[in-house]
Amino acid sequence: MKNNQLKNKRNIKRFIPPFMRKKTFAYSMLTVNILFITWVVVTETGLADELFLPGPLKIWQSFIEVSTEGYQGNTLFVHVFTSVNRILAAFIMACIVGIPMGVLMGASKIARALLNPLIEFYRPLPPLGLYTLLVMWLGIGEESKLALLFLAALPGLIIATIQAVQNIDPVYLRVAKGLGASKKTILFNVYLPAAGPTILAGMRISLGFTYTVLVAAEIVAASAGIGWMIWDAAKFLLSDVVIMGLIVLGLTGIGLDIFMRFIGRILMPWTRYLGP
Amino acid sequence: MKNILNKVSKTLFGSLSAMTLLMMTFPIEAFAKPKKITVGYLNLVNAQLVTKNLGLIQKEMPGVEVEHIKVGGGGDMLRAIAAKQVDFGGLGNPPTAIGVTRKLPIDGIMVLNMLDFVEAMVVRTDANIKSFKDLKGKTVAAPFGSTTHYLLLQALADEGIDPSSMTILDLRPNDIAAAWARGDLDAAWFWEPNLDKAVKRGGNIFMTSGIMEKRGYPTWDVGVVMKSFAKKYPEYVEKFVKAECAGIDFWINNPAKTAKIIAEELSLDLEDATRMMKGTEMVPCKKQLTSQYMGTSDDIGGFADTLVKTSKFLVSQKRLPKQLKRKDYEKFLDPSYLEKVVD
Repeated sequence: MKNNQLKNKRNIKRFIPPFMRKKTFAYSMLTVNILFITWVVVTETGLADELFLPGPLKIWQSFIEVSTEGYQGNTLFVHVFTSVNRILAAFIMACIVGIPMGVLMGASKIARALLNPLIEFYRPLPPLGLYTLLVMWLGIGEESKLALLFLAALPGLIIATIQAVQNIDPVYLRVAKGLGASKKTILFNVYLPAAGPTILAGMRISLGFTYTVLVAAEIVAASAGIGWMIWDAAKFLLSDVVIMGLIVLGLTGIGLDIFMRFIGRILMPWTRYLGP
Repeated sequence: MKNILNKVSKTLFGSLSAMTLLMMTFPIEAFAKPKKITVGYLNLVNAQLVTKNLGLIQKEMPGVEVEHIKVGGGGDMLRAIAAKQVDFGGLGNPPTAIGVTRKLPIDGIMVLNMLDFVEAMVVRTDANIKSFKDLKGKTVAAPFGSTTHYLLLQALADEGIDPSSMTILDLRPNDIAAAWARGDLDAAWFWEPNLDKAVKRGGNIFMTSGIMEKRGYPTWDVGVVMKSFAKKYPEYVEKFVKAECAGIDFWINNPAKTAKIIAEELSLDLEDATRMMKGTEMVPCKKQLTSQYMGTSDDIGGFADTLVKTSKFLVSQKRLPKQLKRKDYEKFLDPSYLEKVVD
């Protein structure tokens, strides 16, 4: 009898994802709940002006409305889909360019010296400043938006990859060379597996940074996208749509990050848990 | 340590109560003089440029620091007002309708300008656009939420054309000029000084806001004041209106000098400035009190009707959640300062 109960308990537990079983998850939930309760109290008591901070119910209503009827011709799904598409397209392009560049710069001092001035110069430039120029060069279509997101993603990737390659234990390389490994084997069997975890961490940070540029990228001449929706709604003082959009944006960001970690676990099973 | 804290709090408390007593003995009005006023003005061609250039507001308020902030368009101005970053501002009728319906704490105190061909729809000459129907399948730009976006959609609705049959893009005026130069746009409805750049690069004017006024859709900019400011410093609102009226009179009486000022303020050729000036209609302050414009405190004029019409339209566009009655828009318009200045 007792045994059975225990078994049942274990069975139920199996359906809860592992991260939710941790104690730290409970603490995280505490923060979320406190924030939510403060929100309810502040809006219900009329402490906050409804124009600037509508209550949770209003946000929920606008979520339902935009999901079913849409905002300015597109449903919420289309807005999110458009934005995620832009982000992923730009980010994948940045990975294709940035990671090999980082490996090259990490492995060769000459390559690093050649490329460093370029990256160090544009890295701290504010995206909006760059954007005006991108619009003039590439026009108001998708190209300039993707270019901005691409440029936002690139430096983080390159710098993380350089770090990753430089931190590889030289013993690995010596052993591989000593055993007569070819350059190709060293690249694929030593550099990439050893540097993988740090590169992945860099990718996660870089994706997060790309995400922060999204609203800026969709300000000019967009008619869909979650960033555009937020920008447009702000113009008409539709703060419920703005806040709803920000929440969706945040959750989508978390979703993308979980996806990245999942991919990392599949590609690099030897990677230990990389932290939250 | 505790002792010091005690002392500090006692002195603080003492001086605070003394100040309160002082403030209670003297009527606040006698002291009511703002340290600084912030005037947000729109980046367009109207007499506010004259008022700013000649320092007319400063002349009315010696000892008060006057700061002018240039704001790109109505949408930005609305946000500046919502964030309480300006004391006085200027708004076109669509942002005004939005602000009043969303209960922003502002009062409309005067007419800044009526929009004629200073705002117009420019079409690329080789796109061969002769009527609104020809816009189908084309790329059209307008700053969303502005007077011209309103007129564009209104004109399409009147002609029975579905706006989704073309690509309508949201761009700010300077971005329109840049995109136009690259050839990304077929048509754009926006305003000077950027409008001219599009006309000079292979465009011609197809429709103006003045024509739309004759069709029953007047567009204008109204001067607004923050309610909190007006309550605290009513005389200074009057002074502001007086200065702006002087600017309008100067515009009407000295066209040549005004053109020079506009050319200087917006870095334009004198010739361009002169033409743009003619595209904006300035209304003398006395005339603003007639039924076509602000009306009087007892009988609010046509501006209230425009606001009703504009918000009705914005509700149909789902840009506004609800529509108010004429009475509510009347409450926003406050010609009392104008009445005092004109008398």
